[in-house]
Amino acid sequence: MFEVMMYDGGVYRSAELFEAIEDVGGTVLHMNRSAQMLMVTMSIPEEDRGVIESISKEIGGDIRSVPLAGTEIAVVGCTLGRHHMPHPVCDIAEIMRQGGAISVVMGLARGRGKKTSQISKREIEIIDEYDAAVFMFGNFKDCVEEKKELLEDIHVPVILVCGPQPDGMEDCCEAVISGVGRKAERMKSSDERAKLAEISDAVNEVLMRKKKQLEEDPLFIHPAELKLLLENYEPIDMCLRPAPIVLHLDGLRVKIPYREHKDYFDNLIVYGRKLSEVADIVESKLEDSSTLIKIRTMSQIEDMDRGA
Amino acid sequence: MQIDVVCDDMYGGEAYAKLFENIIGDIGKSFMIVKAKLVLKPEVPLFIFSVILKNAPGCKVMSEAASFRQEGDELYVSISNERYAPDVLSNLWKTYGRPNVDQNTRFDLVVRGAKQEDVENMVISSGEEAVEEILGAFWRALPEGIRVRDAMIDGKVITVIATEEIMVKELKDEGVLVHEGMIKEGEAIPDV
Repeated sequence: MFEVMMYDGGVYRSAELFEAIEDVGGTVLHMNRSAQMLMVTMSIPEEDRGVIESISKEIGGDIRSVPLAGTEIAVVGCTLGRHHMPHPVCDIAEIMRQGGAISVVMGLARGRGKKTSQISKREIEIIDEYDAAVFMFGNFKDCVEEKKELLEDIHVPVILVCGPQPDGMEDCCEAVISGVGRKAERMKSSDERAKLAEISDAVNEVLMRKKKQLEEDPLFIHPAELKLLLENYEPIDMCLRPAPIVLHLDGLRVKIPYREHKDYFDNLIVYGRKLSEVADIVESKLEDSSTLIKIRTMSQIEDMDRGA
Repeated sequence: MQIDVVCDDMYGGEAYAKLFENIIGDIGKSFMIVKAKLVLKPEVPLFIFSVILKNAPGCKVMSEAASFRQEGDELYVSISNERYAPDVLSNLWKTYGRPNVDQNTRFDLVVRGAKQEDVENMVISSGEEAVEEILGAFWRALPEGIRVRDAMIDGKVITVIATEEIMVKELKDEGVLVHEGMIKEGEAIPDV
């Protein structure tokens, strides 16, 4: 299994690190150079961790595990109103980023209230684009349980964070973390930091389950490999948006419009096949200037081949 | 500030007391409040927030927050109540212009072209503003979906009753009862 690690150090002798990553069959997911400092997020085979660790140490850098790297997580508040933002939603988003994930904060249009809260189909479709969604509810058990219906139609794993421990939510979320309700201040105390770590661990555990499922029926091409191919395409290379390619567990979000680059995406050759044959390529529901690529699994492709 | 919470949901009650305290602290009005009572019934839903203020909100004039010394064309202002320092400064800026107001130290100002009798009676904080800010803090502390609200202000007691859909008579009566109880308690507390 591949493990995602982050190197944090200087540029001195970094070529040796890149060589080692290549030698063990790993990939550089993200690289950020600032003056003489370098941060590299990489995906390497689990058994070769020692090799990379010893080289990093030798060249004077730190290496740490970033279990959430290569994922995009939505942190959803009931609304974007000041009652629900910025805390603790933004604290949770920040802890996700520290774990290596790309996190996105969003609020529902009509998520507030007990009897009047609702979620639209479009909101569900947008949340479904992410690898997992962390929902943040309030302080009253009654209200949290009443809002169960907001989570029922979401297909991606949902991690519910709320104040009291609710009953009967197990069937609509993968994990429930209680003890974090509405707050008007940053989560700074040691107890609160521990709670944030618990949320991060829960998300990691949920995603790990998804990763193991994918290992049983692997994708036709690993998203990181596809990223390397796409990076050479000039409009992506020239894209000024931060992180023009975002990795998902089962695909990628590419921040150029699908409509304008349909031909390129559909006809890109990946291991002798067109990308459109091995992946579902759609326009993002969030905004039409992004493209969502969901790579099919080997069994799906075998089924497709048998059908043809 | 003493906060009494009436709530069956223990976690929610404690969390809202903390939330209320933080929000009132954020707007810098904790010093104005002697006691707060929060009645939280999420199962209805009904939320009643009521506070007793130290004094019935009134206007605050410059002479209550600063002392003065006139020397020719220049007025020396010494701020005695730090809480109103920003209000004193902004009012002087507004009236005499920034170039005419020198701030020598944190609390000592010199205003050119100002007369003591004009400055002394300048209103730096109106009671209405304070009430508005406290009501604003109530809106912030109340759950966002609890949008049907009714406010009652009597002397130094401010009460807000809030529910999600229709404010029926029974709910309002409950709010009035809390409000009257707080007025009685307020009468026993001497003005500061």
